[in-house]
Amino acid sequence: MVQDPVCGMEIKPEEAITTRKLDGKEFYFCSENCIKKFDANPHQYIQNSSQPVGSANTGFNPYSASLQIELPIIGFAKEGQPGRALIHSAFNKIAGIERVVANPIEEVVMVEYDPKSIQIMDIVNTIKKTGYQVGGAQKRIGIESIRCSSCVGFIENELKITPGVLNASINLATQEATVDYLPEQTSLEKLNSAIESWGYKTQSAVSDMPVDQQEAAHDKEYRRLMKKFWFAAIISIPVLITAYPQFIPIVRDWSMATLRLTWFGTALLTLPVLFWSGSDFFSGAWVALKHRAANMNTLIALGTGAAWLYSTFAILFPQIFPEGTSEPFFDVVSVVIALVVLGQALELRAKGKTSEAIKKLLGLQAKTARVIRNDVEMDIPVEEVLVGDIVQVRPGEKVPVDGIIIEGSSAVDESMLTGESLPASKKKGDEVIGATLNKTGAFKFRTTKVGKDTALAQIVKMVQDAQNSKAPIARLADTISGFFVPIVMILAIITFVIWFDFGPQPQLVYALVTAVSVLIIACPCALGLATPMSLMVGIGKGAENGILIRSGEALQTAQAIKTVVLDKTGTITKGKPELTDIVIVPQQTTIQKNELLKLAASVETVSEHPLAEAIVEGAKNEGISLSKPENFEAIPGYGVIASVDRRQVALGNLKMMNRQNVVLGDLESLSEILANNGKTPMFVAIDGLAAGIIAVADTVKEDSKEAIAALHQMGIEVVMITGDNRRTAEAIARQVGVDRVLAEVLPEDKAQNVHLLQAEGKKVAMVGDGINDAPALAKADVGLAIGTGTDVAIEASDITLIKGSLKGVATAIEVSRATMRNIKQNLVGAFIYNALGVPIAMGVLFPFFGVLLSPLLAGAAMAFSSVTVVSNANRLRSFRPKLHTK
Amino acid sequence: MNTIQIAVSLGGLVLSLFIVWFFWLAPKGQMRVSASSSGVQEVAITVKGGYTPDIIVVKAGQPLRMRFTRQESSSCSEMVLLPDFNQSAKLPEGEEVSIEFTPEKPGEYGFQCQMGMLPGKLIVE
Repeated sequence: MVQDPVCGMEIKPEEAITTRKLDGKEFYFCSENCIKKFDANPHQYIQNSSQPVGSANTGFNPYSASLQIELPIIGFAKEGQPGRALIHSAFNKIAGIERVVANPIEEVVMVEYDPKSIQIMDIVNTIKKTGYQVGGAQKRIGIESIRCSSCVGFIENELKITPGVLNASINLATQEATVDYLPEQTSLEKLNSAIESWGYKTQSAVSDMPVDQQEAAHDKEYRRLMKKFWFAAIISIPVLITAYPQFIPIVRDWSMATLRLTWFGTALLTLPVLFWSGSDFFSGAWVALKHRAANMNTLIALGTGAAWLYSTFAILFPQIFPEGTSEPFFDVVSVVIALVVLGQALELRAKGKTSEAIKKLLGLQAKTARVIRNDVEMDIPVEEVLVGDIVQVRPGEKVPVDGIIIEGSSAVDESMLTGESLPASKKKGDEVIGATLNKTGAFKFRTTKVGKDTALAQIVKMVQDAQNSKAPIARLADTISGFFVPIVMILAIITFVIWFDFGPQPQLVYALVTAVSVLIIACPCALGLATPMSLMVGIGKGAENGILIRSGEALQTAQAIKTVVLDKTGTITKGKPELTDIVIVPQQTTIQKNELLKLAASVETVSEHPLAEAIVEGAKNEGISLSKPENFEAIPGYGVIASVDRRQVALGNLKMMNRQNVVLGDLESLSEILANNGKTPMFVAIDGLAAGIIAVADTVKEDSKEAIAALHQMGIEVVMITGDNRRTAEAIARQVGVDRVLAEVLPEDKAQNVHLLQAEGKKVAMVGDGINDAPALAKADVGLAIGTGTDVAIEASDITLIKGSLKGVATAIEVSRATMRNIKQNLVGAFIYNALGVPIAMGVLFPFFGVLLSPLLAGAAMAFSSVTVVSNANRLRSFRPKLHTK
Repeated sequence: MNTIQIAVSLGGLVLSLFIVWFFWLAPKGQMRVSASSSGVQEVAITVKGGYTPDIIVVKAGQPLRMRFTRQESSSCSEMVLLPDFNQSAKLPEGEEVSIEFTPEKPGEYGFQCQMGMLPGKLIVE
């Protein structure tokens, strides 16, 4: 017996009305009706019949009429029971729904439905109407050369009936399918094969790879420009030969009549140069004109157009021109267009390099992830990894997305994101960041952020946004370029009139040549390019060094910083107490330092106080094995007491010692000294006798001192701000060498203090951890937030330092200074170029030196001025920070 | 000076004045955007050698969606920036790209290409 794939009726093969062969399989049909349905959309039926029996994932069972689907619901757990009732009631009256099980704890809804009367999309819409969003992923898939609109419907249907797909739509214009699907139930591979079953090749969607796409567009544009250039360049050869016959053997012997004939030839030859190679200039000029605007295109179109028109008139009607002026200069037309187009092509090439930083960042992304689902390990594209997936990472592999380690430990190289070259050790419970490199061990982690939410994706987005922002300095250039072109046009007219009225003979030729030169040499592009190109490279350079600059404005302000305010805790210091001193008085006790530490730390193993943690950590770092304390007692405000190895150990402050009637002797004065150095001393008494002091302190980061020295060297005043008491603050200040200390400042007064410093007339930068310090960061001229790990996008800050080091502050200011210097070079260069070029083209040198700029040279100068600007911006790529993080 | 020279001088003067008038003084066409029933002000802008329309009048406090379609391959116009609103977008050729934000304060704001060669103006009333 065989089964009719359409109606599902069991028939004998020999009784079938007809058969169809598809994908190497034979299908049998019971009736004409079934064949008709099958022929209309064969894949709909094949897809179903080729499913395995009772698929575990989808609950699909080909022998049952109803289907089952599990839909993840976002935020379902928060609402709980009321939400459950809401969803149940929503499905109540809908035809085709057989059973609904809503589980708010697991955040899923299981729906059993009859596929003949209701589609998945309707189910999803029903849920959406209740206000919930159905989870799942959206993926764009590029489809190669899909043009026929009828295929669109077929492929869309094919995708929609693929199990796990919620919705699919195809955009012919972008040649992309947008698919909403449940990644637990289908994979990218299945989606691709659904499309490929219709004979189309799939590719990565262009909109998913912004940089690559831009690069491809640039490549295409470059080839287009080069074609135009070569055409214009080749035409230029015969045009040049006939334009300067006196320099070319053979040609110089030609008679005037022959030359005149060849000029007609060049007039015709240069036409396609004008309207094909130079078509952009003319169409651009025309569109601008319609907007009552003018730009570079206008200038080139006017210049070359005027040259061609004049030349053509001159050879057509030589008699109406004064003696000696009826010579053409078609060479100006073809050579200038060739040069300017070449300049544009080279500029494009150089521009491509400016976005290198982003390309590097995107290149860090892992392509695949080894995910464990239902105890099965599988390699899947990183786009399909879901929040909550368990991912296995082996030594030498990249961490695909952000998450928290649940098993195993390793050292992870995070230098690509943080610039910190020492691998960070990671154990269970630690965060791992996507795109970092796992070095030594294997571990499993639960994903917390995927796709656009990963630290890397956010960094890329932030850098791109910043690269496209405007620096205030660019506004001047923008204002000027608004007036630039019409002014140049007027200057060209003035030039023409002056040469025509007062110039030497032949006046018409001189007037025209100079006017055309003025139009061609003026280069508004160089002005416009000056800032954005450098900004692009500078902000990219910052990102490479772990410094995320939020905007062009922040970059510009940072260079003028005169005072840097550093928050103490977590910025200068590690923000976490550490064991610093163990003091014993040999005359008073026989106990050794190690033993003292062992006893004290053993007591503290059960305490939860942060200071206790520091002592335990300190003992572990010394390699001391700890014992289990007994009869542990914590006395709030005093200290702790317990017995360890049958000895009674008391640990605490002066009050604790007095309470235990311990005679301190010299220890009391020693503790004073420790306290003066900003440390927290704790007395230890063993069996009722004073044994020593253990001191902990929030210690200074290793490179804080070096970073502050570097800031001093840059001529910047460094101020420390803290809520701590003056004594502790001064102690830290001495260690790192800050100039001023603002101690005992309440958190809410930090912003006020920043304001007071600003009132001294200085540009003030505030450096903090971005959470407590947000108002002060916002108040400062530039707020720098120190972010570590995944919390890179810190809102209140203008600049985020993704490595914890203070060196980033110095480097950020360095990047800013280097970039602004570069921008100024570009702007000054562009101004000087135009300010010198235009008058020379007008002929100001002619009365004194008899020097006149040829339009050909003007074209070359114009073409290479903008290339120079972009190249100068690219020089910034070689920027290296003076302070290297180890 | 002969008559031709005087004529050319006068012609140049007239032409210069015309340029001043044409580019700066003459009133430019504006495009007034009205809000749809959903309260979103929507405007489609063609990017080709410039922005069409290039002067757009919108109401303050209502969300605005600017749909840009770039119809040329010249790399000049590959980005559009609205620096005052901290918005920018890449414009792939032939693809519609939307920028959405709500202009809160009345005033005149520029939008432009990365180099500032192609100007547009957003007038918020």
